[in-house]
Amino acid sequence: MRHRLRDPITGLLFVLPMLVLFVIFRFVPSLGAAGLSVTDYQLGGSWSFVGVTNYARLFDDPIFMGALRVTIVYVAIYVPLTLLVSLGTALLLNSVIFMKGIFRSALFLPYVTSFVFAGVIWRWMYEFDGFINGLLAKIDLGPVGFLDDTALVLPALATVSVWKGFGYSMLILLAGLKSIPSSYLEAARVDGANAWQRFRSIVLPLLRPALFFVIVIETIGAFQAFDVIYVMTGGGPSRASYNLIYALYDQGFGNFNVAYAATIGIVLFVLVFIVSMIQRRLLDRSNT
Amino acid sequence: MTITETKPVKAAPARAAKSRRRSGRQWPFALLLGLVAVLTVSPFLLMLVLALSPKNEPTLPHQWPESLTLDNLVTNLTSSGFLGWTLNSFIYAAVSVVIILLTASMAGYAFAKKRFPGRDALMWAFLATMMVPFQATLIPLFILISDLNGADTFWGLIVPTLANSQAVFLMRQFIRDLPDELFEAAKVDGAPEWRIYLQIVVPLTKPILATLGVFVFLWHWNDFLWPLVATSSEEMRTLTVGLSSLRGEQFPQSMEMAAAAISVVPCLAVFFLLQRYLVNSIAMTGLK
Repeated sequence: MRHRLRDPITGLLFVLPMLVLFVIFRFVPSLGAAGLSVTDYQLGGSWSFVGVTNYARLFDDPIFMGALRVTIVYVAIYVPLTLLVSLGTALLLNSVIFMKGIFRSALFLPYVTSFVFAGVIWRWMYEFDGFINGLLAKIDLGPVGFLDDTALVLPALATVSVWKGFGYSMLILLAGLKSIPSSYLEAARVDGANAWQRFRSIVLPLLRPALFFVIVIETIGAFQAFDVIYVMTGGGPSRASYNLIYALYDQGFGNFNVAYAATIGIVLFVLVFIVSMIQRRLLDRSNT
Repeated sequence: MTITETKPVKAAPARAAKSRRRSGRQWPFALLLGLVAVLTVSPFLLMLVLALSPKNEPTLPHQWPESLTLDNLVTNLTSSGFLGWTLNSFIYAAVSVVIILLTASMAGYAFAKKRFPGRDALMWAFLATMMVPFQATLIPLFILISDLNGADTFWGLIVPTLANSQAVFLMRQFIRDLPDELFEAAKVDGAPEWRIYLQIVVPLTKPILATLGVFVFLWHWNDFLWPLVATSSEEMRTLTVGLSSLRGEQFPQSMEMAAAAISVVPCLAVFFLLQRYLVNSIAMTGLK
């Protein structure tokens, strides 16, 4: 009986260190972001309540609207591309036995590196005097300014992020593929279904939960792209890769408009929240 | 099945032929997979060639370097600035690993096996903070750290990154599956709580602690945005922030590549030593 009475206290004591960290460094800043967004807070501490002024300003701010557009275009390029590569490699890995472990390691390798590392090497790949233009010159093409062309910069950055990150989604999808009973596929093969039919009617439906998970994780990640942009383009050329997080960073630490920057953070939160809600809806529907 | 049972002599070669046909059909897939794997790994190899190229001598993409040298690597490794950044990254990652493993396993234990008022509400609140992107709290967090005189200090850099709900959730899931009888038996024997934690929880959660440790190490070693914001002096920079600043300082390319190559060594070491933990935990828990 005695230890049962002590239980609530020991339970709380064990949670306490993490709880303190959470309250100070997660809850307070989360509320703080919402609070800042309705003030004109200046670094140094002076502020007054301004209502929705910061939010209204967003819609009149061509730089913010541009950043929103860049973010959405980037997501629209990155997510299908990374899905294609990770699903393709997962399917290949699932159908090959030969040297499978080595292939999987090689494909997963970039995932453990940093975006800064990826940015350093890929900036050289893309340069006028870089590797890809060196290859193009051999067949009398180019040079192409991948990072200097407003139309090419987002696909170029998305490619770097796909290279760095597809190994993660590949592993998730590979686990999903492995959980499909081979007897289903065997039965379909006996019934004369070709590879495409087996993929359409058996693999794809059974892979849906894994695909959903990957799409949501990758979409949320793409909304938050920053490192690779900072290292490779600095938001350029002429703000063609200036996305939401870059705007947040630039407003907060370049222009010191901290309240306005916090407002951009709230927009990011709302976008991520919407994506999560859509995911929950779709998952609920697919489960019933 | 019936055929193999009744006519084993004939069926065995037939099956072998079938599997040979199948593995014969695998060749195009294996070839394609090999091509993708080589493409994925090639940026690493190109970086290595550049890092080993003598300074100011022709190299890729124009021609293969005529000789290779370790000079760039050695110069970086003997530069006090670069070594300082590396040390900072190690401190940032190692301290975070130790404290997160400790606090998250304690909290996970309490959430999994203890009853205390508000437990479920608290767990829910922890999980809810996962919905708030870190970047949305960047500005308030920076203001908070500055007000506490933590800007450009180690504790200001490290402590805000310790509130990690993924870690708590993972530990809770794992500890919940441990049999209750273990804890009850220890209590009946009169073991104090701290001994139950140290002698039952910690030893039994070693595999998941190792996995979590690997991820926390990689998250921090590769982290960029928070160290960029939280540090301002050159001596406090982490390796990622330092690496991103090299381009602006007219740093020779081969030196920059050598620095990047060194920065990725701990990630690759972790990858090759603990690949099994990484790969399995992604497939099983979606840890990212």
